Amino acid sequence: METRPLGNTGHDSTVMTFGTIALNWLEQEGANQMVEHVLDYGVNHFDVAPTYGDAELKLGPKLRQHREEIFLGCKTGNRDYEGAWQRLEQSLDRLGVEKIDLYQVHGLEYDEELDEITGDGGALEAFREAKAEGLIDHIGLTSHSRPSLILDAIDRIDDLESVMFPLNPVVAGKDDDKHDYEAVLRRANEENIGTLGIKAFAAESWPDTDDLPERDRPFCNWYRPVCSPDEIRDRFDFAASQGLTSVVSAGDPKLVTMILEAAADYDGLDEAAQRSLIEAARHDDSPVPEQLHH
Amino acid sequence: MDVPRTVTVALADRPVEGARCLEAGAGVGSTTAGLLDAGASRVYAITNDRGHALSTRERVGGERGRSAAANGKRSGADDRLAVLEADLRAIPLPDESVDLITAHGLCNVLEPAALSRVVDELNRVAAPGSHLVVDDYDPLPNDAAVRDLFAVENAASELATGRSALTFYPSSFLRELFVGDGWAFDRERTLLDPVPWTASHLSAHADAAASFAVNCPDGVGNSLAARAERLAAEIGNESAGRMYSLAFRLPT
Repeated sequence: METRPLGNTGHDSTVMTFGTIALNWLEQEGANQMVEHVLDYGVNHFDVAPTYGDAELKLGPKLRQHREEIFLGCKTGNRDYEGAWQRLEQSLDRLGVEKIDLYQVHGLEYDEELDEITGDGGALEAFREAKAEGLIDHIGLTSHSRPSLILDAIDRIDDLESVMFPLNPVVAGKDDDKHDYEAVLRRANEENIGTLGIKAFAAESWPDTDDLPERDRPFCNWYRPVCSPDEIRDRFDFAASQGLTSVVSAGDPKLVTMILEAAADYDGLDEAAQRSLIEAARHDDSPVPEQLHH
Repeated sequence: MDVPRTVTVALADRPVEGARCLEAGAGVGSTTAGLLDAGASRVYAITNDRGHALSTRERVGGERGRSAAANGKRSGADDRLAVLEADLRAIPLPDESVDLITAHGLCNVLEPAALSRVVDELNRVAAPGSHLVVDDYDPLPNDAAVRDLFAVENAASELATGRSALTFYPSSFLRELFVGDGWAFDRERTLLDPVPWTASHLSAHADAAASFAVNCPDGVGNSLAARAERLAAEIGNESAGRMYSLAFRLPT
């Protein structure tokens, strides 16, 4: 599988990152098989978080067995120094490893949170101490909030080495600042910060829970995913062709093999084909139904 | 509104800033919005379809007018936009009055006789040194399922009006046509490959077929309308064919 440099980290990540939340939905034996399956495709970058149910615990056994083959990203949603330290120690304990390669601020959402993590007594102080102690190697950030907030974070966190954010044809087709994650991608690339794409396989929001209760959803993703092999391939190719370091696989284990296949076969996507996917998404989502043309 | 990438890519290397523009066949205003965004000093959006004229006014003029007001400007893009309901075979503008013309998805709705007259009119209103952008679709490949739907739409149109609704001209054909009319060819680029014919496009084409079918001879119309609707449902969506962008310039 193709690899790309993850910013300045010195690590070359495979063009697909395994989103290990998928393990949460499997029994331990199935989780072990899934990790072996993913490694068989050559995937070398895994992403986990303490909030993904039992994913840390279920990843643990195979992670320890294959520790050298896996670049491990983990996260904390705690914004303060104490909380971040506690959460890091808990993750190291639950994963059963000595070190996390990439530790990320998880799900940055508001300006006040950025103030807190970068301020005195903020989470980043804990990150930096942990880095000095050799418990983590690199510092990253994840967000599906406003692109302008992520750009602020890039400005304000000098030792930031990766950012994780949404990118797919639906988002790319929207011109407003609220959806301009391409600006984040450009800035990150200029500053040689690694980029990890999420929501690559999201088709649309789930219907209102009155119409479709959560228990009746056919996938465990946050959004309704695309789910045919061709759509999965189109979405993977699109995300990978935008210039991201790596595309994070979808959270539902039913989709993982299709994504692995797409990633293994990835061979670029020309601009006219990229636009074709943006245009298709734009019309699926269009408030003007009577259009004959593109 | 979001300007489609097909439009931004087609305009990206054209000198829109400060230009007096003519959007020939306004559709729902996408290209008009792209021209205004790119800094056109004036956009004449011409269409013979009242619905399209209204859509363009509402989507482009309205929104930009509102955003200009919100920014505290006394006048906004509304001042730069004139939506004209007119026939492109008789454009209500003086000779040599525009600097840049766009025909985005226009030619395929013009059968050859109409196309020929529109080409002459575009030449008439273009000032010396003008730019022209013609974006359209190559003929669909033989195995494309959407061809069947377009065939039914054309059959209904032929029976109702005596003319085809859709003609997909190869890029080489339109290139030679405009060159023959005095334009110098500048460049060609591919906008979409493949072209995504989404469920909403197919449904719009089925509706177009049904509206022609109303004026078809007894019996035939109903059957064509039903067939178009069935084809749109069966095909669902299909990615097929190529959309291209041609750019030309008039000698100074």
